[in-house]
Amino acid sequence: MTITLIFTFTGIVLIGVLGFVGRRTPAADLSEWAVNGRKFGALAMWFLQAGEVFTTFTFLGMAGLAFSGGVAAMYALPYIPIGYMVLFFLAKRLWSMGRERGYLTQGDFLEDRFGSRFLGTLAAVLGVLFVLPYLQLQITGLGLIVKLVTGDAVSSTLSMVVGCVLVVAFVLWAGLRGVATTSYFKDVVMLIVLVVLLVAVPAHFAGGLSGVFHKIDQLHPQLLTIHNGTNDHVWFITSMLVSAIGVGLMCLPHTWPALFSARDPKVLRRNYTWMPLYELCLMLPMVIGFAAVLVLPKNSDSNGILLSLSKTVLPGWATGLVVVAAIATAMVPAAGILIGISSLVARNVVRVRGERKQFWVNHGTVVVACGVSLLLGIFRPDLLANLLLLTYSGSVQLAPANVLGFTRRVPIGKGPVLAGLIVGELVVIWLTFFDTHLVGHVNVGLVGLAANIVVLLAGALAERRTRRMRVSEVSDDVAVTA
Amino acid sequence: MRSYYLIPLIPALALTVMPFLPFVNSTGLWFGLPKMLVWGGVWCVLCTPAMLITERVMARRGEDR
Repeated sequence: MTITLIFTFTGIVLIGVLGFVGRRTPAADLSEWAVNGRKFGALAMWFLQAGEVFTTFTFLGMAGLAFSGGVAAMYALPYIPIGYMVLFFLAKRLWSMGRERGYLTQGDFLEDRFGSRFLGTLAAVLGVLFVLPYLQLQITGLGLIVKLVTGDAVSSTLSMVVGCVLVVAFVLWAGLRGVATTSYFKDVVMLIVLVVLLVAVPAHFAGGLSGVFHKIDQLHPQLLTIHNGTNDHVWFITSMLVSAIGVGLMCLPHTWPALFSARDPKVLRRNYTWMPLYELCLMLPMVIGFAAVLVLPKNSDSNGILLSLSKTVLPGWATGLVVVAAIATAMVPAAGILIGISSLVARNVVRVRGERKQFWVNHGTVVVACGVSLLLGIFRPDLLANLLLLTYSGSVQLAPANVLGFTRRVPIGKGPVLAGLIVGELVVIWLTFFDTHLVGHVNVGLVGLAANIVVLLAGALAERRTRRMRVSEVSDDVAVTA
Repeated sequence: MRSYYLIPLIPALALTVMPFLPFVNSTGLWFGLPKMLVWGGVWCVLCTPAMLITERVMARRGEDR
């Protein structure tokens, strides 16, 4: 345990130091800090965008999902390539608009495209509300990792505090460049660990990869199919669609700075082309999940199975390396999310005059957002957990606004878009917290999106009719005057 | 709609309908792996050539500038 603990804290400090190394001189302004002056090349962009995908959920959650639901975990594989294929076509336009109009956030984009400050602020507030629980998830994930491996609650809390302090420090200093340098480390160590586990775990428990699945086929064949139950066909397809819409139509606010930071749109297109191959790595923790079915009791904590098997199979130092990889999947995405949250607040919520003041608001938000998430993670971990249910389903309600904003001439005004967005969010909140069984296993985000689009179209028709009536009134007046 | 949009649509559709294909969503293994994992993995890999072909078509038509 001591060796593992030493590795754990060394890993946390190393990630913090790497984040600092990302920048040598302080950033001059928010654009330099949040999108690195729009000059990241192919390699940095690759790791930045891959970094958004591989989080604690991917590392620990995918193994857990395969352990409890078998191939239902596969819903997480297709949505990213599908989303990237949409972005393959959209990214160039979005990037060009961002450069021409100086966008840093989703709020900037919506505010400018619809000529509505209120829409920009509302989108930013919703973005912060939906992504803050995601930030807390990374922090509590970090604590959970340490607790699972050491069994010590004090070390767990201490790791969360040290991790947060270091993330805040390197994010304040290095901004998106810090996220990029830590992403290199994170992805390399994560890949090494996953490949080692992929070989060691099946070999130890079933004589190899094929052995695991032959045993699953004989003993638990239901895990090889999507069937009736919690994770049925409807759950699978609707969850996948909502997630694909979220990725492909840029509904999650923390993905915007990374896209704007590219040197040119070719870099983005190349990334979206090749990234699906990298996504295959998502299958590695799934295999560990299947192996766990053969050796762990059914009621085991699904989030902890990857670490439990690592402890059984690997020596102490190697388990330490697994923990470092897991911690990196928490700290690096947390840093990216912090940049997304703070730039939204500084640009679209707290509107101060002067670049310097905006910079201070941004930095203050980094400290406050991480501090709040840490405190809630330690004292009230359940408080934000409910909001986490809204992260994807709530965020995708911004999809219609984003799609309309991508067009050359925005065809619908701010009124219908706002009405649709508000109705969509209300439907999602109602179905998530009050009438949880009304739509069965259909993802509530999709139901909200349907309501959102219906209201938006009705509003657009009403808007067009009003405009036509006004035009005819004006032409009548002109005719009378003539 | 331009024809090159259809190329990435093929792997996207293949991935989306995955649980509804009876020969994929069934017990038994392909190459020692669950059928869903093989199907999903193969079509995920094919997304890359689909986008490469699209890029080439766009470049030939001068629509990537």
